Amino acid sequence: MQAIALSAVVAAPLIAVAALALLRGWARRHAAWIAGLAALLSLASVFALLPALEGGATPALQFPWIPVAGIGFRLRLDWLALPFVVTEAGVTLVAVLYSWGYHHVDARTPAYYALLMLFAAGMAGTTLADDMFLFYIFWELMLIASCILIALWGEGEQRGAVALKYFLFTHLGSLMVLAALVLLYGRTGSDSLSALRSGVSLAPAVANVVGVLFVVGFSVKMAVFPVHLWLPDAHTVAPMSVTIMLAAAMLSMGTYGILRFPFSAFTVAQIAPFGLPMMIAGLVSGIYGALMSLAEQDVKRIIAYSSVSQMGYVLFGLGTLTHEGVAGATLHVIYHAIVKALLFMCVGLVIRAAGRRHIHELGGLGRAMPLAAACTGVGALAVAGTPPLALFDSEWMIFAGGFQSGYLWLGVGMVLASLLTVAYALWFWGRVFIGASSEARELGTVSMFIVVPTVALACLALIEGLFPAPVFDWAQHGLSLILGGTW
Amino acid sequence: MSGEVLLGLPLAILAGGAVVAYLIARLARAGGSALAVFTALVLVLALVPLAAIRAGPAPRSGWALLSVGSVLLLGDPGALIVGSIALGLGSIVALYSGRYIADDDRAKLYYPLLVLLVAGLLGMVVAGDMFSLYLFCELMSISAYALVAFRREEGMAIEAGFKYLIVGSLGTALLLFGISFIYRAGGSLLLVSAPADLAGRTWARVGIACVLVGLGVKGALVPLHTWLPDAHGRAPSSVSAMLSGIVVQSAFYALLKTGIALGFRATDVGLLLIGLSLLNMTVGNLMALAQTDVKRLLAYSTVAQVGYVMFGVGIGLRYAAPDAIQAAFYLLLAHAAMKGLAFMCAGAHPGAATVASWRGTAQQLPLVAAAFAVSLGGLAGVPPLAGFVGKWLILIRSLRQADLLAVLATLAFLANGLLSLGYYLPLIGSTFLRSTEPAIETRVRPSAWIGLPLVGLGGLVLAIGIHPAPWLEWMSDVASALLAWGH
Repeated sequence: MQAIALSAVVAAPLIAVAALALLRGWARRHAAWIAGLAALLSLASVFALLPALEGGATPALQFPWIPVAGIGFRLRLDWLALPFVVTEAGVTLVAVLYSWGYHHVDARTPAYYALLMLFAAGMAGTTLADDMFLFYIFWELMLIASCILIALWGEGEQRGAVALKYFLFTHLGSLMVLAALVLLYGRTGSDSLSALRSGVSLAPAVANVVGVLFVVGFSVKMAVFPVHLWLPDAHTVAPMSVTIMLAAAMLSMGTYGILRFPFSAFTVAQIAPFGLPMMIAGLVSGIYGALMSLAEQDVKRIIAYSSVSQMGYVLFGLGTLTHEGVAGATLHVIYHAIVKALLFMCVGLVIRAAGRRHIHELGGLGRAMPLAAACTGVGALAVAGTPPLALFDSEWMIFAGGFQSGYLWLGVGMVLASLLTVAYALWFWGRVFIGASSEARELGTVSMFIVVPTVALACLALIEGLFPAPVFDWAQHGLSLILGGTW
Repeated sequence: MSGEVLLGLPLAILAGGAVVAYLIARLARAGGSALAVFTALVLVLALVPLAAIRAGPAPRSGWALLSVGSVLLLGDPGALIVGSIALGLGSIVALYSGRYIADDDRAKLYYPLLVLLVAGLLGMVVAGDMFSLYLFCELMSISAYALVAFRREEGMAIEAGFKYLIVGSLGTALLLFGISFIYRAGGSLLLVSAPADLAGRTWARVGIACVLVGLGVKGALVPLHTWLPDAHGRAPSSVSAMLSGIVVQSAFYALLKTGIALGFRATDVGLLLIGLSLLNMTVGNLMALAQTDVKRLLAYSTVAQVGYVMFGVGIGLRYAAPDAIQAAFYLLLAHAAMKGLAFMCAGAHPGAATVASWRGTAQQLPLVAAAFAVSLGGLAGVPPLAGFVGKWLILIRSLRQADLLAVLATLAFLANGLLSLGYYLPLIGSTFLRSTEPAIETRVRPSAWIGLPLVGLGGLVLAIGIHPAPWLEWMSDVASALLAWGH
């Protein structure tokens, strides 16, 4: 039963891909239904496994695959993976619903949903893989699917170039991860992650090389300064539902990678030299992303740069190497996914309603679209770290971790950096929704498939802010699996 | 039937097949497609005895040996594998040619030449003495020269064929020279019973140097590769598929076999191969980056890919690592399928010679575009395709060596993987981008003769990549045979 549910998390999207690729006629008209059903099934399977996890079991399954090299098809769900796989499956469902209402249906629609599902399968597999080879395959699958989506469905003439830039940048990061994985494999002689969990004894020099490769490689996926360069273009050009998946779900895979590999395999002593550089990079990224958000004119780019800033918080939290900091970073990833998906959905509505995306040409939309204004307001306040919204809780913990880390000034710097976040979030909201009214187009009826998930996410941001205990509990369990579990 | 007879049978079938094919072409009124099917059948028929030797118990104790007059055949595992790949690829190419070559005048003479090419290739790898090695090498080369210039009405075909002829003849002449020197030193042409101290004798060293250069020309070892881009780029695509897919690799295998059989130390051969392989991949990749013509680009990519195979074999011989050799032969098989597929796709889209003109293929010829993407993705090492698995397996073995040479070489290997993305990705990208110009008029008629080989070979590329275990198992004894020979 557990094995079925576990494989369904990855298999449901993959079956949807096959169905969308092979079926004709009926499937063409119901592509969105198939994708939505698969996303729902994937998410439900994760929750179906939750009781088992709480009962102390770790659902896992494995088949031999390439016995010569000790490679197996191994999936495993533990507490460390759970927050990320829930985030990924949830965001996928929301993104599918949103594109249901947002995109016109044409002959290419089944292919679009098939690629969305491939993207989702890549992320689900990345979080569940218990084998380095398998991990890397899913890791690249997610890049390939999203890259095709940007290249074919992106907005503007530049989409080909943007997709290429996205691929080259993130693939460079992937290659660093690959090199680190292969180095680890070479030393442990085993492809299974269980070898990593039981601890790896590496020569200090090798451990440092592996650590640098992992941290830098995964940071590219997180898009922290200065390896963020792919993000603004990719997020701006991608179609809205893909942007939601990129920003809300895929960025968190970088965090997962850091937690899963260097943080699981190494001891605190081995990882300690990376703490300070990670905190500094996180701080710089937090400030830089916020400043760029203030400077940008395109509403989608503003929110895109806000991801750079928010991922800076996450990296900072991880770098503190304290219980609060790392738990806060994990929470921040989940909450950021909720809020960032919400903001992009609202931006999509604004662009659709106003027909333009330059912030100086927008204004006063609050009267025409009060619900969108309210939802965006929740998102903007959440990004600004306002209590009692979700991101407040996680930022609080990240700051607490920063103050405990022994680098007090970095903690102070991070708190001050959050002021800039408040600045761009409120400026953005005010610019778009209040002030002189821009001549808004006739707003058609907005599909329920857009309204319901948007409002739901706004409510979720509030609920999570008020009752963080269950999700915090997940993150707490996950922490016992990393850095030797001694906090 | 005993292994000895089985070893001679394929060559007899091919020789007979070539004659019958020629007679059918000259006398019967059968169409070109019937001849294509006949040729494919001959090649498959020749494959049967080889498969029987591999399946039988005999080769585990000692290799099949057949002595007819002064010709000695030696069916060591590697030779049987390279020969089988050649026969398999050849039969697919023959089917593909049924439509591809049909409109050429003299089309029917193409098939006997194709059979002779494969016969020469097979003979070269199973040759057990240097005289028959030379003989079969010439047979293969002469067929190849004729096939490269087969479309003599096309602009550069004659020039490319002639260049290949001149450079190739120089190579075979040097090969003959080398063989005579080795004979002077050892008094025997046999590859099975070389005197133990032969490798230390001056004339044997001079001889093997000549053999290295001579077969190096055929195997496109940089800097002896200059004929290759012209020949592979100008030949009919079906011929390029054979030349790039297996002909070059078979020359490499013959070289390897000769060197090892004459008693040169495996570690020395390994070192030489690692050095040469780095040269091959770097030059091949850099030159491919500069190409705008698709077939020339694929040709240079062959130079690089031969380098990857050599790298694996080199690591295996240098560090007595059988799994690296196994992975290298797996990559050789994968490359034959992938590069064969890539050239067939190029042939199925004759209007598009340059990278830019591949734009819009996905709309015009979706099957060709999909097959092309699979082959290029595999060549670029995109997981989970075959090229990735092969490189991964070679990497994990080479990184296990702590010595500086291995580490530096592995880094160069990784860097080359990245470099190669620079030309594969734009090509994949332009295949899937919409064309800005009106559709090219010279659209090939969709034909099962072209479609089926593309689908079959594409499926094979996927199968080799996704389920590598049986293919690796097939190559399990190559390494032990080579290593045992070398000591």
